Amino acid sequence: MDEAPPPKRAKIVSEDIAKPIDNSIGNTMSGFKRDRHGNEKRFNNGPRPAPKPKVAVVRNAYTPMFEQLRNELDAHHDRRDRLGKVSRDVTGLSKKIVRTINPDLPPQIQAEVDSRLAEISKLLATMAPDVQGINRYRYSRSLMCLEELAEALTFAHYLKTQTLLKPDELSAFVEELTRKGAAVSEEKDEDKDEPMPDAGNTPVPASGEQETTSDDPKPTEKEEQPKPEPLIMSTTEDDYFYGVFDLSGEMMRFATTSTALTGKMAGAEDERTIVEDMHELGSFFEMLPGKAGDRKQWEKKLDVMRQSVRKVERLGYDRKIRGSERPQGWVPDLTADQPGEDEEL
Amino acid sequence: MAPPMIDPALFDQLKDNIEKDSSIRKDLEQIIEELNQNVSYTQGVLTKIHSTSRSKYPALLSQVESGIKKELDTTTRLAQFASQYPYYKYNYKWGRTLQDAIATVLLCAWLGGMGSDSKPGEVGRLLTLEEVGEVFGAPVNLKDRDAFHITIEEYLLALISVVEDLSRLAMNSVTLGDTELAVQISGFIKDLHGGFQMLNLKNDILRKRVDSVKYAVKKVEDVVYDLSLRNLIPAKEAQ
Repeated sequence: MDEAPPPKRAKIVSEDIAKPIDNSIGNTMSGFKRDRHGNEKRFNNGPRPAPKPKVAVVRNAYTPMFEQLRNELDAHHDRRDRLGKVSRDVTGLSKKIVRTINPDLPPQIQAEVDSRLAEISKLLATMAPDVQGINRYRYSRSLMCLEELAEALTFAHYLKTQTLLKPDELSAFVEELTRKGAAVSEEKDEDKDEPMPDAGNTPVPASGEQETTSDDPKPTEKEEQPKPEPLIMSTTEDDYFYGVFDLSGEMMRFATTSTALTGKMAGAEDERTIVEDMHELGSFFEMLPGKAGDRKQWEKKLDVMRQSVRKVERLGYDRKIRGSERPQGWVPDLTADQPGEDEEL
Repeated sequence: MAPPMIDPALFDQLKDNIEKDSSIRKDLEQIIEELNQNVSYTQGVLTKIHSTSRSKYPALLSQVESGIKKELDTTTRLAQFASQYPYYKYNYKWGRTLQDAIATVLLCAWLGGMGSDSKPGEVGRLLTLEEVGEVFGAPVNLKDRDAFHITIEEYLLALISVVEDLSRLAMNSVTLGDTELAVQISGFIKDLHGGFQMLNLKNDILRKRVDSVKYAVKKVEDVVYDLSLRNLIPAKEAQ
C-alpha cells in the first residue's frame, strides 16, 4: 500500500496513524527500518530481501576446490579454538598454584598443589593430540598456558630447593604430567566413554591426510587402535624463558610477604638469601643475548624483572638499616621510588 | 654448602641455544632477501601486462617465466634450509614473500604462461594448490611431518593478490581494445568470489584480505556494465 512516497505532509500524518494496524497484519515478528516520516522503509525491489543463505547454491568450476580448502581451514580453526580454551583453563589453574604456594609450603598446600596439578595434567593430555609434530609451533600462540605452568613449576622448585629448575627438567615434568593425565582419562574412558577430543588427528604417519577431510572427529575411533605410548606435550625454550621471567615477579612477592611475616629475609640459614638469588637471576638474564624471535616481548619482560630485582634489593636494604626497629608485619612501601609499575604482566 | 641458585652450565647451554637461533634467523633473512629481489623483479615485469596487447603476451610471459625460474631456485634453497627446523617456528618470516612469489606464478599461469607438455598454457587457467606445489617442487598443506611446504593460507592470500591484479587488467584490456579478456576476467573473478564466500573465516588476515575481493568484483562489473551499455560485449559471451 505505501510503495509510493506520499506527496503531501498531511497525507503522511494520516498514514502514520494507520501504521500500527498495518503492522499487526503484516510482519508482526521482526522490526523494520522506518524512513524519517516513520513509514516502513521499502527497498528498491519490494520488501527487504531475506538474508542470503550462507552457501550459494550456484556452483562453478572452483567450488569443489574451495570446499576442500574450507574443510582444511575449519579443521585448523577448530584445533586452535580447542587449544585456546583449554589453555585458558590451565593458565587459571597455574595461577592458582602460584597463589597458594606463596606463603610457605606446609603439607596442606602441597596437597592443594598436587590436586591442581592433577587437573592440569588431565587438560594437558586432551591438548596433546593437537600439538604433535609440525603443529607444535603452529599453535605456540595458543599455548601461553605453558608459560604460566612453567612459572608455577619453577617457583615450586625454587621454594623447595632454592635453585632454578632447568629446561630439560621442566619438559620432563610436563611430559610426565601429560602421561599421567592420559592414563587417568583412559581409565575414565572405559566406563564413561568420555570423548577424547579429536583422537584421530594424531599424526600417525600418512593416516592424518585422509582423516581431516572428514569434517567431524569421531570419538569412537580411539578404541580401535590401542596406543601403547600416550602422546606427550612438549615445552619449548620460549615457554621456559618466559616462565622464568615471571618467576622473578613471584620471588619478589614471596620475598616481600615472607619478610613482612617473619621479620627476616627468606633464605637458608646463614647462607644465601633471596636477595642474592634475585641478583643472580637478574644477572643471568642480563647476560643472555636478547632473543631474536620476539624482541619486544623479551625487552618488556626483562624490564619488569629489573623492577622486581630493585624491589627486593631495597627490601634487603631496609632490613639491614632498620630491621630491628620495625614491628612484625610491617610492609615496606615498595612503590616509593618506582611509582606506577605493576609487577603483574 | 647448598648448591648455587643457577647451575653455571645452564647459562652456557641457554646462551648457546639463543646464539644458534639468532644465526639461523640471520641465514634465513639472507635467503628471504634474495627471494624478495627475485619476486619484485618478476612482479615488475608482470606490471607490463597492463600495457601489452594479447598478441604480445608470449614474449612477455617468457620474460616473466625466467624471473619465476630464479624465484624457484631461491625457494628451493629456502626449503632445504627451513626443513631442518620446526616449520612454524620461522615460517612467519618468509610467509609474505612466498605469497608474492606464488602470486606471480598464479598470474603468469592465468595469462597463459607456465605451460608444460602435458598441460599447455592457456588464458584463464587457475593453478590449484597442488599444482603450485608442483611448480615449487614443495609439498603442500603438510600434516604428517615437519618440513617446508606451502600452506593453504599462503595460496589463498596469493590468489587474492592475483584477483586484484586481474581486476585492474580488466580495465586496461578494454583500453587496449581486448573486451573479450575483460569479460573473461569478470567471469573468473565472480566465480572466485563465490568460492571465497564459502570459507568460514575467522577474524584474521585472511578475512581482511578476502574483503578486497568484493571490490574487485565491483570493479570488473562496472567495466562489463560500461561495455554492455555500448554493445561492446563480444557476441558469444552475450547470452
